[in-house]
Amino acid sequence: MNIQRQYSLPNCTLILEGLSNGVSPSDGRDTRPVLSILVNVECRFLGIPEKLQGGSSFLENLVKTVSEYAQGYLSGIPHPVHTQAEEDKVNLETLPDQHLHRLTWYPSFQTDNPVEMTLTTVQLFDLVESIDQFFADSQTLPDLTLQLQPLSRRYRPPDEPLAQRAIPATLGIASLVVAAFALFFIPSPEIKEPEPDLSAPTTETTPPEDTSSDSPPQ
Amino acid sequence: MADSNPSVESKPIILDVLPDFTISGQRCAGRIQQHIDLLLLALEALELGASEQMLATVKHFNLEQIIKNRIALWRLRSTNPWRRAYTRDSLTIEQAKALVIIANYRVKPLTVQIRQLLLAEQQMHEKGLPVTCHFLLAEYLDQFRAHFRSRMNSRRAKVSVYLSSEDQLNELALLLLKQLLFCTGTAGMQRFWISLFDGEVA
Repeated sequence: MNIQRQYSLPNCTLILEGLSNGVSPSDGRDTRPVLSILVNVECRFLGIPEKLQGGSSFLENLVKTVSEYAQGYLSGIPHPVHTQAEEDKVNLETLPDQHLHRLTWYPSFQTDNPVEMTLTTVQLFDLVESIDQFFADSQTLPDLTLQLQPLSRRYRPPDEPLAQRAIPATLGIASLVVAAFALFFIPSPEIKEPEPDLSAPTTETTPPEDTSSDSPPQ
Repeated sequence: MADSNPSVESKPIILDVLPDFTISGQRCAGRIQQHIDLLLLALEALELGASEQMLATVKHFNLEQIIKNRIALWRLRSTNPWRRAYTRDSLTIEQAKALVIIANYRVKPLTVQIRQLLLAEQQMHEKGLPVTCHFLLAEYLDQFRAHFRSRMNSRRAKVSVYLSSEDQLNELALLLLKQLLFCTGTAGMQRFWISLFDGEVA
């Protein structure tokens, strides 16, 4: 039986088509059959004529790229997307100074021309939300779950750029060089060995001369 | 009455919806505290009486043992290093979770308003007009700038840069508005919480 699941947001519609493998739904309240074998995925945006379409590898690439991009957008630290299947690659990048995002899809069956579309932040959010709704739906591909992990410390950009951090050290070294250069011309003072002065009176305490007068009467 | 003893009191269950991450000493970094407080500031600029609503949300989720009263909430928000009343304290993971849960709950009813504002921003960009020309956007931006001016410490280098340039402060307000939009989503709270720890975990 062909099953179709549609996740509609004001700007974006994600449609998943597939088959059920006959396993009855685990949750008694939800009588919908479980979509477990994906056949086709379609993603459309309001006002954009092109649509994204593909199979399970396309869906995998799309959700991974979009999810990581959204996390990078929230934290301000771009997330690298490492593993992506070769076919149906999806790429997202920020367009500088335009508050827009460019989504590029390299379709596996049209190798010559990748599909590019420019999304506003609201459209991007609708795409993220449609993917999150699909993940939250336990009756559609229950094996796929949303996996989010924060980036490790080594991806964190330094708080100040390298050029700015190098300023104090450069200034320090430069001033040391200038000081050393200036001090080079100052003659070093001659060292005079103090000569022992023999003529100086000895500081020995001499016994008083009139000791005899003070001597006790014999 | 074993339940009334704080030592055996269990933490609110709602905190478990957000995962724990191992960062040093179970305390949050200043950057996380700053981000949470700024997001709440943007929320206040969107909605009149937002701080009252936040306190009501504390009661709604039984988070009183983490945020006892208005002053406790203010002290938690003053862990933002940019604040005039910066306390030099740091948030525990539970306190940070509580603030994120409050922000997420408060932002959901404002989804339509946020979308309208962001669509207006896009229209202004397309027409090549400054964002302050739109009356709804101007109202939000004015509110945000007023809150920022009255609460942030102008002697902080980054704050003084924002205070000296209205455009940069408007940019910050709009970025926070976009982040608030992402918080309204199905997994918005988890996404925002996890993004806070980007570049912080080992």
